Amino acid sequence: MSRTRQLVEELRRQLGGAAPLPPPPPIPAIPEPPVRVFPRRDEGRSRYAREAAPHTTALVGIGHVGTRYSTDVVLQFQAELAVAHHAVATLLPEDWAEKNGMIPLKSRVTDHREFLLRPDLGRRLDEESLARLRQVARKDVDVQPIVADGLSAVACMQSGKALLEAFTKECEARGLSVGTPMCARFARVWLEDEIGQEVRAKVAAILLGERPGLGTGDGLSAYLVFQPAVGRTDGDRNMMSNIHARGTPPPVAGHRLAVLAKAMIDQRTSGVTLDLGKLTAELGEAASRHPRAPQERVRLVEVPG
Amino acid sequence: MILEPLPPRILSVRRIPNADDAILRAYGADPLRHRSLGLITVDQDDPTYVALDECTKHAPVDVVFAKSFYAGAAHGSGPLSGEILGVIAASDPDEIDEGLRALVACLEHDACFYGADEAKKTAVFPHVIASLGHYLSAQAGLAVGEPMAYLVAPPMEGTLGFDAALKAADVTAVRIFPPPTETNFSAAWLTGSLEACEAAAVAFLETVVRVAAQPLDRR
Repeated sequence: MSRTRQLVEELRRQLGGAAPLPPPPPIPAIPEPPVRVFPRRDEGRSRYAREAAPHTTALVGIGHVGTRYSTDVVLQFQAELAVAHHAVATLLPEDWAEKNGMIPLKSRVTDHREFLLRPDLGRRLDEESLARLRQVARKDVDVQPIVADGLSAVACMQSGKALLEAFTKECEARGLSVGTPMCARFARVWLEDEIGQEVRAKVAAILLGERPGLGTGDGLSAYLVFQPAVGRTDGDRNMMSNIHARGTPPPVAGHRLAVLAKAMIDQRTSGVTLDLGKLTAELGEAASRHPRAPQERVRLVEVPG
Repeated sequence: MILEPLPPRILSVRRIPNADDAILRAYGADPLRHRSLGLITVDQDDPTYVALDECTKHAPVDVVFAKSFYAGAAHGSGPLSGEILGVIAASDPDEIDEGLRALVACLEHDACFYGADEAKKTAVFPHVIASLGHYLSAQAGLAVGEPMAYLVAPPMEGTLGFDAALKAADVTAVRIFPPPTETNFSAAWLTGSLEACEAAAVAFLETVVRVAAQPLDRR
């Protein structure tokens, strides 16, 4: 009740008015503001967000001022780029093939710089390798696997042998004859055409290190072609990429590649004319047209503090 | 029963969120500072002046226009005219909303006339403002925050009441409005300490009641 009303009330009592004044109308209830409170969810937030949140009402934090990337992003980027650079720069040792029980082969490329600049030379065998192939390798096979360095010798050394073994085992399980294991240095994909032609294989499969991406220097790709011959194009090939521990692991890839090779021999074709529609169960996501689940990003650098 | 509140009736409350410059200028607003208007008509003018002053304490609004209509609410030009049109102005409709909320609350719960006689024919307004807002302080030439007694009564009752109020406490007259005014009441603004203002208002009210009860003092 306001002060003036109190004064009037007191005076009225003094002047003999007994009955109290009617109370003023009640103050209406103030409705709650239409606010919905969402529970705090900390598990998805970074340490930066957790520590910044008590100090600001901001909903979006980019972690820095200005147009720079945050330190963490720069460091991760530099680390991932370094992984890619390292993979490109690594050379496959000359004796790696023999140590792992494979026929050592080499393209016409003579050094690493030439390998990067002259893809055409990487697609043909040099004279010495051709002679060795003709002399040693088993001919008239169903499948001729070739391990190669490609653009990432790191990947070749890391999982090339495991993929070759898995692939060979799966092919033999399907009744396919598999050629002598061999390993090519300074190899491009199309080198499989000449090799497959020389050994008269039905299907040539080259398993080589793929062009490194950020943070992925150890990925293998496999390119398969039916009736290999010099002059085949990429439209004649089927390929599978991202064969590494975080992508398709070599045992799974070996199984799928064997399925693919069998399908090529059954359908007597490869590349865009190969029908993979009946193989979706066995090939899994490799045959489906749906986008794949994103890969887990591996943090290469931890920023202290 | 005497001294019962005669609650003011709020006849209309409307907003102009984005007023035309010509309207703003005509009603005393500054188009550079003001954009939105809030308008109110009430059937009691003096409680509305007090309420307009009160709302300047609750929101950043300016009272740009407040005028009583001639001859009071009983002779209004229309059903919504009442006795006064008050206009508050602000830079933003939200501030108008906030100001009008405070204004209406003051009219409904605080400032009102009282009936000085049993028949409620004599209306008296013995209001004490504990702390002046921007509007009435500028009108009265007092500082914001000072107390003021806002006393209104019909001519005869008022004149005797003001005299009694000025003598009863240590207050000074800021302004006295002798009749005839627009509504033909007479009014006085007195200032002093808050206790003095309250004592003056009570003395004024008691005198008005006595005069209303015994208008003829024949010797």
